[in-house]
Formats: sequence, C-alpha cells, structure tokens
Amino acid sequence: MKLFFRRVRSVAAKEYKHILRDPFTLVVALVLPLIFVGMFGFVIDLDYKHMRLYVRDNDQTSVSRRFLQEVSSSGYFDQTPLHSPARADEALQKNNTPAVLIIKPGFGRRVKALDPADPARAQLLTDGTDNVQASIIQIYMRGIVQAASSLFTGGAEGASSLIRTRFLFNPELSSRWFIVPALSTVIIGLLAIMLTALTVAKEWENGSMELLLSTPVRPAEIILGKLIPYFCLSLFDVLVVFVLALTVFGIPFEGSFLLYMLACAVYVTGALALGLVISVVTRQQQAAIQFAFAVGLLPSFIFSGFIFPIENMPLFFQYFTALFPQRWFLLISRTLFLSDAGFAPLAPAFAGIGLFACVMIILAVFKFKTDVEP
Amino acid sequence: MPALGVRVEGVTKRLGHTLALQGVSTVFEPGRVHGIVGPNGAGKTTLMRVLTGLLKPTQGEVFYYDAQGDVSAAQAKGQTGYFPQEPSLYPDLSCREHLEFFRDLYDLPSQAFESRAKELFDATGMSAFSGRPAGKLSGGMYKKLGLMCVLLNRPRLLLLDEPTVGVDPVSRQELWELVYGFAGQETTVVLSTSYMDEAQRCSKVHILDGGVLKAADTPQALMRRFEVMQFADIFLKK
Repeated sequence: MKLFFRRVRSVAAKEYKHILRDPFTLVVALVLPLIFVGMFGFVIDLDYKHMRLYVRDNDQTSVSRRFLQEVSSSGYFDQTPLHSPARADEALQKNNTPAVLIIKPGFGRRVKALDPADPARAQLLTDGTDNVQASIIQIYMRGIVQAASSLFTGGAEGASSLIRTRFLFNPELSSRWFIVPALSTVIIGLLAIMLTALTVAKEWENGSMELLLSTPVRPAEIILGKLIPYFCLSLFDVLVVFVLALTVFGIPFEGSFLLYMLACAVYVTGALALGLVISVVTRQQQAAIQFAFAVGLLPSFIFSGFIFPIENMPLFFQYFTALFPQRWFLLISRTLFLSDAGFAPLAPAFAGIGLFACVMIILAVFKFKTDVEP
Repeated sequence: MPALGVRVEGVTKRLGHTLALQGVSTVFEPGRVHGIVGPNGAGKTTLMRVLTGLLKPTQGEVFYYDAQGDVSAAQAKGQTGYFPQEPSLYPDLSCREHLEFFRDLYDLPSQAFESRAKELFDATGMSAFSGRPAGKLSGGMYKKLGLMCVLLNRPRLLLLDEPTVGVDPVSRQELWELVYGFAGQETTVVLSTSYMDEAQRCSKVHILDGGVLKAADTPQALMRRFEVMQFADIFLKK
C-alpha cells in the first residue's frame, strides 16, 4: 500500500510540474473559465427586452396614446413612430424591426363604447423568420393588452388579469440566474475532459509511455496520479465561477455549500476519468481533443437542460439525457443555488453523477494498456 | 543479485499485416554484452520490446533465468531496465527530477538513491547539468540521462534500443564506456545497433534481417563463418 501511494504521489507530482510549466495548460485551465463566465454571464441574455417596435397610430386619441404608454412602460419595447402605412411592410422586409403595431382609427371610441360586438382594433405584424422572437412578442403584447383593457374598463372586464403568476426561487425569471449556476457544468464538461484527454495521449505521442510501462508502475497508479492534479485544478475553477456568480452577478446561493462542493467533486472526478478513457483509447492528442469536444461540449449544451428544457424533448431523448452526468449535475447546481433543498430530493441526481464517475474510473483502469501492442 | 539471462524460443511477432519476427530462437547469456544487429526494418526494436514484455509474441515464448534457475516474467520486469529508441524523457523535467521520479517508481530508499544518483552523475559527467531540463540537453547527454534513469534500479537485465543513434562520436565512446562499466556479473546488457563497428564491441552478436535471425555468435566467429574480413561485409555479402 505504501508503495502504491508513493508511486501515485510521484506521478501526481510529475503531472503537477507539467501543468505549472506548460503555458497552454495554465491558460486553458485558468483563463478559459473567466472567458466562459464573461461570455455566458454578460453576453448571452435569453430575456427579450427593449425590442424595436415600429408604431403607426391611426387613431391619435388620448386612449390610443395611453395604450402606447402602457406598451412603453412594459420595458419590452422601444417604440419608433411610423409616418406612412407603406413603411410598415418595408420595415419588416428590410429587417429593421421584428414587429409593427398599427392602431386602427376609432380605437379610442370603441374602447369607451365597451361593445363586445365591436371591439377596439389594433394590428400586430411580426417577423416570422425568427419564430421564437415572434412568439415572445405576441405573448408580451397579449399581456400588455390585458393590463391596458383592465385599466380602461376599471377592472370590470379585466377579470382574467386578476390571475397573477408568481415564480418561486427566480421571481423575475431572470435568465442570468438560470444560466450562471449552470456554468460549472459546461466549464467542467469541457475543461476537465479536455485537460485529461491530452495527458495520456501526450505520453504516447512523446514516447514516454513506453519508458513508463517498462517500470513496475501499475495502471491504477498512473490513472490516480494523473487525476489528482487536474482534480484540484478543476475544483479551483469551480470555486472561481462560484465566487463570480455571487459577487459579480449577484446570484443568491440558498442551498448547502458543502453539498454543492461534494457534487462538484463527484462530477469533476467523473469528467476527468472520462477524459482519461478518451486519452487511453485514442493515444493521439488530436483525436483525443476532437473526442473531448464532442463528448464534453455537446451534451453540456444539448442534453443537460442548459438551454433546451428536458421536459420539452421527445420521450426517448428525455431518457437518453439520463446517461449524461451533465444533466444531473446541472439539476443539483441550479437547485442548490436557487433553493434551500437538502440532500433527499437530490439523491437520484447524486446517484447519477456517482455512478458515472465509478464507471469511468473502472473503464480508464481496465482500458489502460500495459503494453505497446498496436 | 546475479545477472539475468533470456532464452527466446521460436518467437514470431505479427504487427498488422507485417511479420516483424519470424521464428526467432536465441539465447542472451547472463553477464555479457549482447548486440542485436541488423539494417533498418530488421525487427530489432520488435525483439527488444518482446524481451521487455511490452509486446507479446504471436507464437513462441521468452524465458528468463539466472544462476539459480528460471525467473518469472513478472519478477524479471521489476529487475529489467529498458531505454527505448525514441525520445522518451520529459522535456520540462530536469535531470535530477527525472531521477527522483524513477526513484519513486522503483521504490528506492532515500539513502540508496542519493549514493546511486551521485555515482551515476559522476560516471556520466553530468553533475554540472543536474538542474537542466531534458529538453535542453544535447543528444549525447539526453541518452546518458535515459541510461541513468534505467540504471538507477541496478537492473539485472539492461535493454538499450539503439542507444547511440543521433549521438556524436565522442559521446558514443562515452556511452560505450558506461555500458561496459555496468555490464558484468550483476547485469546483462542487450543493445540494438545499426552501426557495424559497435557490433564488434559486443561479446555476442545476434544478426537479424527481415525478421529472421541469421546467426548468433561472437563477432570473430561470425566473421569466420561468413568468410569476411570486415564485420560490415556480412550484410554486403548476403
């Protein structure tokens, strides 16, 4: 056992020196997380706000102006007046605006008349080439119309607007609150897998593996020795993202920090071991990096629920995503950031990442070749 | 501990579609300096890897033995030092760090390590370069460092695959002196080479060509058998 630890420590110390002396590894490990946080935290905003809206008011009454004021105060739209009807089509065709709102003549009179057979009319034209944005504009506009009609009728007709929806944990449904806690999933998914994917392949390409294999060192000792330094490096990255989430983005952390770090440790171990499996199987740095991108990046984005909700996927893919630890870790991360849930509701997710880590370590050890057979 | 010998019996090795070794049978007696000689592609590296246990024979067997009798392959592995032909050291690690890394892999006690490291640094004349990274060593010094790493464990069987390739004549001479210095009652040396002048320095030469063992004997006996005046003429005459 003493011998086992001595060799593991020796391989780990060697790997640690390689990391410190290789500028590429250091940049990837320390700068990439900051780039990711900046990119996802600041640049990507899934909340649609201040969308350009061309407006043609053919009524020009106090009621139509009040309605447009409601549209403005919602914060979703920045209005630009249209001075001729022909320019509405032109604006849409030239992609100058995603939508045009046209208030028909008699709008104010009809609102005041409150005749259900002859309602006030306004037309919303949306650019269907971006159907997601078009749908969102329609939903937002429906809400504004509802609120405005309630205002004009003194609440009598706006009964439906009395139904209020309150979102727990993320009351403003801010996409930043949703994205930043999930960043560790992507960063580890990419970094941990990529860094270790290179380490064994590099030894094969450099020829040092042949020398190493001729010594009494065993596969488990090499695997563990290589995992330890990258484990520490990845956990450091997780902590950097965690601190940035709290301080720069002001995201609350409601759950148990210890539970969160435990989840990170298990997930990092699985990701690192997956990188080693790739490295052990491919033996070439170029192939290893391509594999690492494919199995690290794609599931993090597509099958984790990071961007696309899993419940909206076809049933087969809902089960398929269960194979990826990214899905389970993302669930743990978001839950612990935004709610004070304990271990019990997260137990299946912990089982998911734990099982993945065990399988990957076993695969890495057993797939590790102790000879130079082609 | 006495030197290890190796007996190779009918070893054939197929690598993909290529027969790298074909029914090779020979004996590497303990305590001698053996040379595996042949042109490029003769199968020297493959035979080296088979002797190390890094390649398994497709057919045939390899046996290790010493004065007391047979030694298992697993036991022999722990007492064998192998330095491959390709550059295999870590360019960013210094000479001293290499020795410390191999000290732990071989589980050497600290005291024994210090005295052996000093002995090796003195013998190779590398003391002044102990802190220099392997990537910044000259070709000759690089090979010496590789030799130091594998000699650290005092191997009973030392396998060196083309140790003098890419090395200047002075460094070649020094490497040979080193090899002869360590060969003897406690260490068998097996090295491969394409240089015929080096083959003549070995006490026994195993001639490989196209994966087939042509002959194995002392250089003088081989020259008599092939009726040549120069050792290199053995290959020219075939």
